Amino acid sequence: MEPLVLGIETSCDETAIGIVRGRTLLANEIASSVDEHARFGGVVPEIAARAHLEAMLPSIERAVKTANISLRDIDAVAVTAGPGLIGALLVGVASASGLAQGLGRPLYGVNHLASHISVDYLTHSDPLEPVIALLVSGGHSSLLQVDDITGSITKLGATMDDAAGEAFDKIARIMGVGFPGGPAIDALAKTGSATAIDFPRGLTTSNDWQTRPFDFSFSGLKTAVARYLESTPDYVRGDVAASFQEAVVDVLLLKALAACKQTGINSLVIAGGVAANSRLRHLAEQRCEKVGIQLRIPAPALCTDNGAMVAALGSLLVSAGRAPAANAFDADSSLPVTSINLR
Amino acid sequence: MGWFKAMTISLVIDTATSRTIVGVVNNGIAVFEEFHEGATDHGKAISELVAKALKATAIPDEVVIGMGPGPFTGLRVGITFAQSFALARSIPWIGVCSLDAIRIDSTTNDLGTDEYTVAIDARRKQMYWASYKAGVRIKGPSVDKPEDIEQFITNVFPDVTKLVELGSTQNVREPFYLRSPDAIPTAERT
Ligand SMILES: [Zn+2]
Repeated sequence: MEPLVLGIETSCDETAIGIVRGRTLLANEIASSVDEHARFGGVVPEIAARAHLEAMLPSIERAVKTANISLRDIDAVAVTAGPGLIGALLVGVASASGLAQGLGRPLYGVNHLASHISVDYLTHSDPLEPVIALLVSGGHSSLLQVDDITGSITKLGATMDDAAGEAFDKIARIMGVGFPGGPAIDALAKTGSATAIDFPRGLTTSNDWQTRPFDFSFSGLKTAVARYLESTPDYVRGDVAASFQEAVVDVLLLKALAACKQTGINSLVIAGGVAANSRLRHLAEQRCEKVGIQLRIPAPALCTDNGAMVAALGSLLVSAGRAPAANAFDADSSLPVTSINLR
Repeated sequence: MGWFKAMTISLVIDTATSRTIVGVVNNGIAVFEEFHEGATDHGKAISELVAKALKATAIPDEVVIGMGPGPFTGLRVGITFAQSFALARSIPWIGVCSLDAIRIDSTTNDLGTDEYTVAIDARRKQMYWASYKAGVRIKGPSVDKPEDIEQFITNVFPDVTKLVELGSTQNVREPFYLRSPDAIPTAERT
């Protein structure tokens, strides 16, 4: 029998519970406090932490009901141990720890970023590894080489300043189109031209390709957009959104495909909240097909933070015979991606 | 001693203070009682102490939780652990006020009165406090600067048997925060 795993994710503003049996998704419940943060233009840690506590038990109960199982049948509990907001992570870890002890089942403390990648296993059954992973979200923009999702991830590059999703949030704030910025910009961009304004592509000079081929920088782009808005009173909102989005997406794919080429790995997975962006998905398909790279992007609902991805990684760890965490462990707000499974 | 339910074994958890307090109370008697000192250690300590308690005692049939007031992060760790444990075991959880569980015996200390105020650290130069007369809360719980609170007793901690005792008259479902969240957004989304 394949392992039945419950996963808990509370690294930011979503209280998310997933249940999987092996690689089959049984439940994916998400309670978000995003509306409570919108008026602040960003996530307020204490508001998020309070919302996690409030939503935790009802979310677990809903997931158990949806999955049509009994909590007693759970073989293992997995929880996001980091990275993320510490006060938010602590609620998830304490809940998972209470569940695991109550059930007398092993507890896995897993890496949030590795979880984002492993969710692909719920959609595709053929082996993923080795694969280049482009992980793009509000907190991270990383290029990773994944040789074994349960044991070996190498960091090839990351953002030097803002994360891709953060850039979306900041531009959305400047343009007054709401929070979170990703979906708002994505929608607005559909009304404009991606080639209307030639915004800069960070870290793409020939010198950058020599010295930091797989790193990203979005702060220059953010400044350029702000300056353009200031100096162009009659700007076309759709054009700005589309051209900004194109600059982000273009550079993400340029570097991801360069990483495939350099490592000789001909498959690419794109994960994280920004992987829900429609332009990124479309352009990735086009470019990967052109150079013969096998592309995998999880369904949009599995790209943003969710519990299914935590349960998926938990299930993969159980199946791979990886050891669970010690009885007690601390959440780590800056857990490096190389630390997949907390011990 | 008519306040306890017959033959109830309670797992008791309180993280409202700098201590992570875990107890098992069997028919009014503490058969396990331990604490770990450390204002930022609640997460790890609670798991270790509960594991120890479960090894040492009979299977609990309810969980009694100190719902604060107390510094938010540690308080939440205790509450969410306890609630999840109860859910996993399909047993009820009962929330009580942590300040009410501080046992002050006016006959054995030098207060000379049955009225007293207790206070615990609330961070940011404030204290959580409440006043009692003949063991009944008459003021609070509130949060204030120490200089604004009448003479108070501090460096005192909830008692595991008192927490269980309170469970027969209280059923607190939400933590006592007593302060609005700081509205400082972060860009640290992952
Ligand atoms: Zn994420």
